[in-house]
Amino acid sequence: MKEAQIICVGCPLGCRATLKVSREGEVLEVTGCRCKEGRRYVVEEFRNPVRVLTATVLTEGSRVPLLPVRTSSPIPKEKLREAMKALAKVRAKPPLRAGEVVLEDLLGTGVDLVATRDLPS
Amino acid sequence: MRLQGVDVAVIGAGPAGMAAAIRAKEAGAQRVLLVERQEELGGLLHQCIHNGFGLLYFGEDLTGPEYAKRFIDRVYDLGVETLLETTVLEISPERGIRVINKGGLQSFRPKAVVLAMGCRERTRDQLGIPGGRPAGIFTAGTAQRLVNVEGLLPGRRVVILGSGDVGMIMARRLTLEGARVEAVVEILPYVGGLIRNEVQCLHDFDIPLLLEHTVTEVHGERHLEGVTVAKVDPHRRPIPGTEIQIECDTLLLSVGLIPENELSRRAGVELDPLTGGPTVDQWRETTVPGVFAGGNVLHVHDLVDNCSWEAELAAEGAVRFAKGERTEGREICLRPGRNVRYVVPQRIRGEGPVTLFLRVREMEEGMRVRVGDLWQKRFRVVKPSEQIKVELSPKDLRRLPDGVAEIRVECEVAG
Amino acid sequence: MAWLQTEVLIIGGGVLGAAVARELSRYRVEAALLEREPDLGWGSTKANMCIVCQGADALEFRPEYKRSRLVWESIPMMEPLCRELGVPFKRIGELTLIRNNEERAKYQKLKTRAEKVGFTGLRFVGRDELFAMEPHVSREAVGALYNPDIAVVDPVRLTIALAESARRNGVEVHLETEVLGIERSGEEFLVETNRGEVRCRFIVNAAGVYVDRVARFLNADEFVLYPVKGFIGILDKDLGHLVSHEIHMRPEAPGEMNIVVPSVYGNLFFGVVLRLGRKGDNSTTKEMADTALRNLRKVLPGVSEGDVIHTFAGFMMFRNWELGWHECVVEASRKVPRFVNVSIGYPGVSAAPATAKEVLRLLEKEGLRLQEDPSFEPRLEAPPSFVDLPPEEQQSLIERDPRYGHVVCRCETVTEGEIVEAIRRGANTLDGVKFRTRAGMGRCQGGYCTPRVIKILARELGIPETEVTKKGKGSELLPLRSKELLG
Repeated sequence: MKEAQIICVGCPLGCRATLKVSREGEVLEVTGCRCKEGRRYVVEEFRNPVRVLTATVLTEGSRVPLLPVRTSSPIPKEKLREAMKALAKVRAKPPLRAGEVVLEDLLGTGVDLVATRDLPS
Repeated sequence: MRLQGVDVAVIGAGPAGMAAAIRAKEAGAQRVLLVERQEELGGLLHQCIHNGFGLLYFGEDLTGPEYAKRFIDRVYDLGVETLLETTVLEISPERGIRVINKGGLQSFRPKAVVLAMGCRERTRDQLGIPGGRPAGIFTAGTAQRLVNVEGLLPGRRVVILGSGDVGMIMARRLTLEGARVEAVVEILPYVGGLIRNEVQCLHDFDIPLLLEHTVTEVHGERHLEGVTVAKVDPHRRPIPGTEIQIECDTLLLSVGLIPENELSRRAGVELDPLTGGPTVDQWRETTVPGVFAGGNVLHVHDLVDNCSWEAELAAEGAVRFAKGERTEGREICLRPGRNVRYVVPQRIRGEGPVTLFLRVREMEEGMRVRVGDLWQKRFRVVKPSEQIKVELSPKDLRRLPDGVAEIRVECEVAG
Repeated sequence: MAWLQTEVLIIGGGVLGAAVARELSRYRVEAALLEREPDLGWGSTKANMCIVCQGADALEFRPEYKRSRLVWESIPMMEPLCRELGVPFKRIGELTLIRNNEERAKYQKLKTRAEKVGFTGLRFVGRDELFAMEPHVSREAVGALYNPDIAVVDPVRLTIALAESARRNGVEVHLETEVLGIERSGEEFLVETNRGEVRCRFIVNAAGVYVDRVARFLNADEFVLYPVKGFIGILDKDLGHLVSHEIHMRPEAPGEMNIVVPSVYGNLFFGVVLRLGRKGDNSTTKEMADTALRNLRKVLPGVSEGDVIHTFAGFMMFRNWELGWHECVVEASRKVPRFVNVSIGYPGVSAAPATAKEVLRLLEKEGLRLQEDPSFEPRLEAPPSFVDLPPEEQQSLIERDPRYGHVVCRCETVTEGEIVEAIRRGANTLDGVKFRTRAGMGRCQGGYCTPRVIKILARELGIPETEVTKKGKGSELLPLRSKELLG
């Protein structure tokens, strides 16, 4: 058995939860949370921490140097830095509208990278 | 553009100004003019490329540019008139507005004005950090524009002073861009911004957070070479002997925001020293008749959604004023009491409803926030970084006995 | 082959070097000025209270001292000079606060000395008149000595205008040119610089903080100077109404002056805290800042730390630091012919006009032939300062060049047109733009305009934004591009 510490981000309280976890990775006990939703969050955050990545990509043929982008849904937390390396190679070309895909299936996650604003020429 | 005959002029097209202009139009104003100094609508939202916007307003998790676009589209759909790349030079106490742009100088007098100029960042000099005057020191917001809009990075090794949301978000941004954030330094015993940002911007990337520390000196004549960081005592004074040196080429300052009220002051608007913004009533009308204010120009908000909401109140007030509708009635002052840093509005005139925002001074757990005898609510925790929004209905106000001139707003230990 | 050959070489583009260059340009003399920084007036000149005064120590109006004479002789010369060159100048008058009989007696002596050398306008004002003139100053004061002649200027703009006027009248001005060594070769000096060799017959050493180092190349340093660091603070414009005169209060401790003065632009400057320092280390310290603020509060009790928008430190070269007064070095070397050392220490800006004339007298004695140049044009057209113009002129300026309708610095209302003009006239750094136009000098300290000024600099200079500097090589502001660190 091992322990994991996770801070709940659900509300300003910021409960510091302790999770007891079996060798197989099963959460056995959660202490330190002050609400049910928090317990659900910390267990999920322990099992599968994911984040929406927001960043920029370089442009080509536009008067602005950067296009802001986001992942269409959250991706595994440990892939954030690798994702940055992948999108550093992308060159966005106008015309592009907010919501359009800039890079498909980022790092095989099945998640797309989409523009968060229109790209002017 | 013919500027005579404008009903409501809104100064600044950020999240507050755009919401105000839209609301003014929706509330029936014929001609609404939105004046913006930059080349496009949206203000700072364009540099805030991270998500977390719109959860309250739209019930969706949007990035800054996405949040902006929703408002921009609506501004144009509704036929709000816009003056871009235009700076307001002066607003007179009689609401005379003088603007400048590449077409020249123009003056006009709208029926009502909504101030939505936002805020600016506190600088190194206001903190009095001694040392040389090297390149490599930026406020976090300026750096955010440079990194996210201009595509330029200030350096490779970064120290960030202040753990407000912008500071933490820039720590993550620069880390993702490949720079190394040596430390985020915070003078208080707790993080200044949201818990979510502490976890997702700092912990996720193992960025060291030095609580109860501050930067006491910067080093370097031409370019920043490092900073001295020291632990502080409970009075926030550096403790001699605790200094450490951190080598870095960039120092970002995220040490507070100040409502931008240069124009307001010259218009004769009374300012509240507690908020740095105008004193207003529930319609967000300032002490100058027909001049309203909303968003960060009034007080610095925690969430952009609240900026937009509040500016809508100001717009509704402005439209009423422009139509010649004015509520007269008794005036009641709202005064901050125990552990309350400020309350906006500062006064209530006549009838409700009243939306008020307040912030506490210190973090406390197990509290009750009370607005006189009109309203109360228990909070598991209150924090200076998170504002508290209170809605008072007309019915609530009618419960007030005659002759009450002042209501105290308090944060007290819940029994 | 020499990179540059000239008759008179001026080393140092501070206010003294520029004033000498401009004075020389009245004559048919070949002259050149070298400055190591990317712009003029960045040494002691820039770290300045901006006052045109008689000094603030025991030497005031003492004819037996050269520095005293150069300073008071300059006072009436400054206004016409500024008018000729289009430099902001404002005669504001000085009130030296009196708190007791001892101070009254001291200032009575000063007044008598001033009258002896022709300054008859000084007079004592009583409590009521003082508070009518300055309602916000400390109630500790029982009166003041009023000197109506005292004025304020913009020292950096003055220096730039002097050099620009000199250049238009034939003097070569070379920036980013540092003197690395000097040798004598017959009747000539061979000056080694980072750009190549300069040959000249006369040298005016006005190298400011490095005046002794330059003199030492030829063992012409027949003086000892101590680098004294001075700390100055600037208050928000909103407090500009607090005083309208230069207010001087007798300091509590040696090594301090206690002055509050409104600048030509309406900010209040306060200081000066003086400390011996290491040259080149222009850092401020908390001790200096605290002392300056404490002193300021003695004059203006209501001011707080949060009202300070900027602080800085710079150096003055003092001949005798510990005595409470000091003499200047404006003299030809006794060992090296045709070599003139120029260092005022303080107040260098105030003394510049008369010092330049004195330097020419010394050069003449050393054998320089001065023949007036009838084509000398004393007037210089100042770059437009948009915010100071009446609306009709603002409008016509925008019609001529729409960039004057684009406000880049919101705090000081500086337009893109002014920034482009400053770059055209020689600004090539962020600080250069700042000192020439005031963009970035306001309360947000460049928070808004910095990204915009960087863009304009890159565009006008035709360089990448990554090469734009704060104050010259080694101070690159944004050395990297997005994604560059992810390769």
